[in-house]
Amino acid sequence: MAAGLLLQYVVVALAVALSAGYVAKRQWPGLVRRLRIACAVPLLREGQAAWVQEVGRWIAPPVPGSDGEGCGGCGGCGPTPPDH
Amino acid sequence: MSAADVLRLALVGSPNCGKTALFNLLTGSRQKVANYAGVTVERKEGRLHAPSGRHYAVLDLPGAYSLHAASLDEAVTRDLCRGFYPGEPAPDVIVCVVDATNLRLHLRFALEVRELGTPMVLAVNMMDAARRRGIDVDLVALERELGVPVVPTVAVRRDGAQQLVAKLEHVAANLHAPRHQLDAGTGIDPDALHTETRRLLALAVTMPRRTAAIDDALDRWLLHPVFGLMALAVVMFLIFQAVYAWATPLMDLILAGTAGLGALVGDVLPPGPLNSLLVDGIIAGLGGVIVFLPQILILFAFILALEESGYLPRAAFLLDRMMASAGLSGRSFIPLLSSFACAIPGIMATRSIQDPRDRLATILVAPLMTCSARLPVYALLIGAFIPQQQVAGIFNLQGLVLFALYAAGILSALVVSWVMKKWRRDKGEHPLLLELPSYRMPHPRDLLLGLWERAAIFLRRVGGIILSLTVLLWFLLSFPGAPEGAIGPAIDYSFAGRIGHAMTAVFAPLGFNWQICIALIPGMAAREVAVSSLATVYALSATTDEAATQALTPIIADTWSLATALSLLVWFIYAPQCISTLATIKRETNSWKQVAIATGYLFALAYLASLLTYQIAVALGAG
Repeated sequence: MAAGLLLQYVVVALAVALSAGYVAKRQWPGLVRRLRIACAVPLLREGQAAWVQEVGRWIAPPVPGSDGEGCGGCGGCGPTPPDH
Repeated sequence: MSAADVLRLALVGSPNCGKTALFNLLTGSRQKVANYAGVTVERKEGRLHAPSGRHYAVLDLPGAYSLHAASLDEAVTRDLCRGFYPGEPAPDVIVCVVDATNLRLHLRFALEVRELGTPMVLAVNMMDAARRRGIDVDLVALERELGVPVVPTVAVRRDGAQQLVAKLEHVAANLHAPRHQLDAGTGIDPDALHTETRRLLALAVTMPRRTAAIDDALDRWLLHPVFGLMALAVVMFLIFQAVYAWATPLMDLILAGTAGLGALVGDVLPPGPLNSLLVDGIIAGLGGVIVFLPQILILFAFILALEESGYLPRAAFLLDRMMASAGLSGRSFIPLLSSFACAIPGIMATRSIQDPRDRLATILVAPLMTCSARLPVYALLIGAFIPQQQVAGIFNLQGLVLFALYAAGILSALVVSWVMKKWRRDKGEHPLLLELPSYRMPHPRDLLLGLWERAAIFLRRVGGIILSLTVLLWFLLSFPGAPEGAIGPAIDYSFAGRIGHAMTAVFAPLGFNWQICIALIPGMAAREVAVSSLATVYALSATTDEAATQALTPIIADTWSLATALSLLVWFIYAPQCISTLATIKRETNSWKQVAIATGYLFALAYLASLLTYQIAVALGAG
């Protein structure tokens, strides 16, 4: 395969992977969050190398509410109202 | 800067007193403002950096007539002011906003807030409007009698909050000083509050004999049971005419730009997957959606102008009888109106409906309102199948069809809520109590801000979810390639091609081909993605480069029957898209059962209505 064509395939693969991640994050934020936690926890265990823990922190989701997004819909949601 | 260095400032007040406009002015935010009650249904937060260097976290709270909450949004305000809201400390300072033209109603709430004992500033807003009407407010007397600082504000003017900021600085500097002891006596006894309000009005407010002669004159016509409804129909009708009459030049420009860009990129890049992704996927797909931006903006320019003018609560009043007979209350009007932009804020706005059954009925029919995401789909199909011609010499036929589609959504919502009313056998009447604001000329700054917001939301969706789904769909339509010795088009062997062909077993009776079936899946994330998906599917199906860069409208006009187009239009009136709306229903009702009911009835309605439309159209020779 020519180098030019290979490069095109690499760029396309990156674009598809990024798009899949974005759609998953927007449409199923809870699932993505749980997945990130599941992936990050083993890397953050005591005894792991510093760089492994750094990767774990990068994978771990941010603290809830810190990004201002609610349901992943219109992006304009605030906190859930208290139950009455 | 730590959180402790930031003072928490809460803006409270009765509905439609201008809290959100003041919030926008103080924080530089662009929250939605409108001339009717109930626009804000949950707290919003922004930052104010005072000239002294002090920082404030400013909270914009939903409007409340009383701290004795009667609805969910009032409960948010009550709990936050008292420090009971989960995860939110009580505010350090409360700015109670009152409308200078409506002090009789708003001062009562200010007296309740004062009783909380939190340091408070009273902002008498819309002082310019009060002056114009000859209402004289003695702020010195008001401050003396209330025992709290009182400042005039004009939230729609750039320098309209200077005195408020100065007063806040003074209050903040003396937060820990001994507080002024309030006179005991008013308490929160409603009768005492009324008495105190009347006393304050007598002391500090001088009203002209007639405050709103123009309002009364306009209301005599616009609230008339016959002429009022006629005026409402004419206004709505003209809006849809304008959407088609005014948008064409800009749409043509965008179309030409998209086609030119596609041809340029196709020429510059060597053939290969990246070329196909950019030309057939991204440019064809996104171009097919962006072309409808002018129509969306024209529609919202009218809706924003109506919101600002104060006409919309009158429309709610006019439609109350019709809505009540269909099982909804006039209070449902504002949430349903919000659903024309997007069902999500519409469903959230139902928090202002006090009766839980009315609220649930409104939530369940809100997805039937024609949200702005449907507009690109409608515009595409109308442009392809409805001729651009005049009816009766003055009406645009395409505008008439668009009007009919919106009307079909509204009528369907009324019918569904009527059936729900019969189902629950609720014979109770829930009278509409609605504050009718004064008419006012829409402020150009607010209109432009509103339009900018709509355009930004649309373009963010185009650059976010629509772009991502278009890339994914392009991938599913391009891989795997055709096997050795294949004779059919390569797209038939792709993942998406196979899924689309499998789906036709279910959707063929509706007249949907496999391309439409494929477009319905990403349409679940955002309805307008259906348009970009169709553009990508047809661009990849094209046998020549010239055909691949052709606009979508002539392609579907040539390949679909009128019966299929009508069936798809009807599908989009009812179909339970999108996922975010269903997630919001779950969040607001806290019930999967209600989500299942909404999804089930909308899907059943969509399928049945499309099936009937297609079969009847075919029988009439449109197939």
